[in-house]
Amino acid sequence: MAIPVEQSGSFGRSLHVQLRVLRALFMREALTRYGRHNIGFLWLFVEPMTFTLGVTALWTATRAVHGSDLPIVAFALTGYSSVLLWRNMPGRCIGALWANLSLLYHRNIRVLDIFVARLLLEFGGATISFTVLSVIFISIGWLDPPLNLLEVVGGWLIIAWFGSVMAILLGALSHENELVDKLWHPASYLIFPLSGSAFMVDALPKLAQDVVLWIPMVHGVEIVREGYFGARARAHYDLGYVLPFCLVLSALALMQVRKVAARVVPE
Amino acid sequence: MIRLDKVRKVYPTRFGAKLVLDGISFELRKGERLGVLGRNGAGKSTMVRLISGAERPTSGTVERTMSVSWPLAFGGAFQYALTGQDNVKFISRIYGQNVERNLAFVQEFAELGPYLREPVRTYSSGMRARLAFAISMIIEFDCFLIDEIASVGDARFHARCNYELFEKRGDRAMVIISHDATYIRDHCNRYAVLEQGALSMFDDFDESYAFFSQSIGLATSTAGLSVRATGRAEALSALYHLAIADERFRVHVQQGDWARDRHDWAKAEAEYGKALALHPYERTYWAQLGHVLREQGRDSAAEICYRSACALGQPALDLQPFLEFVQARAHPHEPAVPIRSLERGATSAQPPSYPDLCILIRAVWGGSAIAAEEARSLLRAHATLDDLLEALLDDPRAQAIALSASAENDQPREFEDSALFIVDAIWLQRFCYIAMPAFDTSTVDSAALQEHWQTCLYTLIENHNGFEGWPKSHHKMADFARHARARSAIVYHENAHG
Repeated sequence: MAIPVEQSGSFGRSLHVQLRVLRALFMREALTRYGRHNIGFLWLFVEPMTFTLGVTALWTATRAVHGSDLPIVAFALTGYSSVLLWRNMPGRCIGALWANLSLLYHRNIRVLDIFVARLLLEFGGATISFTVLSVIFISIGWLDPPLNLLEVVGGWLIIAWFGSVMAILLGALSHENELVDKLWHPASYLIFPLSGSAFMVDALPKLAQDVVLWIPMVHGVEIVREGYFGARARAHYDLGYVLPFCLVLSALALMQVRKVAARVVPE
Repeated sequence: MIRLDKVRKVYPTRFGAKLVLDGISFELRKGERLGVLGRNGAGKSTMVRLISGAERPTSGTVERTMSVSWPLAFGGAFQYALTGQDNVKFISRIYGQNVERNLAFVQEFAELGPYLREPVRTYSSGMRARLAFAISMIIEFDCFLIDEIASVGDARFHARCNYELFEKRGDRAMVIISHDATYIRDHCNRYAVLEQGALSMFDDFDESYAFFSQSIGLATSTAGLSVRATGRAEALSALYHLAIADERFRVHVQQGDWARDRHDWAKAEAEYGKALALHPYERTYWAQLGHVLREQGRDSAAEICYRSACALGQPALDLQPFLEFVQARAHPHEPAVPIRSLERGATSAQPPSYPDLCILIRAVWGGSAIAAEEARSLLRAHATLDDLLEALLDDPRAQAIALSASAENDQPREFEDSALFIVDAIWLQRFCYIAMPAFDTSTVDSAALQEHWQTCLYTLIENHNGFEGWPKSHHKMADFARHARARSAIVYHENAHG
């Protein structure tokens, strides 16, 4: 018959259990969201891809003014992919705990695991979408290959970091305060135009530059663009600001998760 | 081993902190099966969640040196959009188990056939219960937490669950919560009662159950009727649900059932009687009481019970043979009067039951005791409540009451044949609910009612036009109440509210 359940001991065992739980949650989340019908898992990145393609087409058609000589396709791809990354993460984590309360009966599943599984899925989708579209555009000649791939990856990870910890913070806060859900939607729409996706910081007046550089996502998008276009992008960012910002936000998020986990009542 | 040490749990609510568990300590070892008794909302499920680790205590510690299951047969962990198969895979992955072997076991145990590959939301509640239980069995825990498993599924499913749990896994530790005290008695070897946030431990079931019944008896349960019924059938249905939700009632009928099962008829009669004293309009236990009286050869009393059960809505088909039997045995030369059933329609046209009879007699004849034989013949002779009330009012004993001022001095007396039927204020309140649909029973001052309820009844009848629409008895009753009250020294004021 079945194997008895081991009670964990060493760090190695714990890590093993942790990965097992995350994998199971990830699969469950993916199946629940995309199911087995029509293209199934492909929706994971087809959905963000259609978004990005649509916005790219729209901006190309209206010849959006973005204040640089970068090709509009490249500008839209880097900009909108980044938006999808940081904006969808909190959307998936707010209320996630309510929807999965009963999972807490499995003692190895912790509050943070529920958030992390959803974030991994979101990160995966956005990243695959960004990569696939880049490869397609590069191969048909609409886009040049990135000048510094590692810098693109670095910028992308910074956006993901910020998006994830904000998502965890808001997700944990939303468990005890429904206002978070109500306010996030308008907030995410209002921040979108300021997030650096639809403009280059360099094109703004000096005063406006100082203001938008308080917003952490702007730094990430600028780094991604510098990685892609090099000096042409004339990127403005400050790692000395954005990294400590994310670090402090991470600490706040984890504290909030700890607080909620101590008080959560499984249904 | 599981060790709880001074575990305290407080929930913050909108109306302040609510203390659910107040310093609970115990140890549970392998092979020990702890059955937990407690009233609704006593905190049993909270305790199970704390033991399972799904929730943390406000203070104190829960120590586990063995693996503990989630609460068994608990279906909440399903993802309803996913198939049964995907849910099995998920649990297998979480616990690092062989997916294929688990699927095979669930396939065999849950008997879902092709439905295993359909979303769980398409399942019936029985199918969900089978799947939940099968999933619980694929992980071999050292300690199983069992929360109300007896309430789902059919007999065959229960038998298989019991085999899996108590035969194959009899060496494990268990914590069992159930409303079915019999289940706990039969499957546990340690017992606990959770009451007022404190846990009392027992090694003997009877001791624990005695403690539990006592704690329920002490509880001031003021079950109110929140629904206004439009007819007798609706009112009886509401009262039936009130009865089965009342834990004091359940404790008495449970003890009555156990006594009946071991043929201790006197004890069964006493327990059923206590239950029915609390809820006189609950129909099923009038039938049970009838059976118990029949076994003792008390055929007239049994006939009263059978007629009452049927008048309160028990199907006539089930009781007719028993009624014929007791009629023929006790009174072989009397013509058999058929059993009369409750129907939809005006209250006055419905057949009377024993509680109706008791209340009406107390109301119009004062405290006169009534012998079983007379009660029996009154129930046989009068097909409707209206007929019965008219006959009681025309009786000389009613005239005597109407002319005397001393009705209040009569102490309530017991039914001669069965010493349990004490008509009290609750009966009256229930009766008002049935006889006077327009009257809001929640306005009755229960203290005043307890003290001198006849005066109250007369006041209520006058003030609320009681028995309105009863064709033969309405006016007679109104006259009677007016006279009787005028002669009574006690004045009753209704509550201002309502």
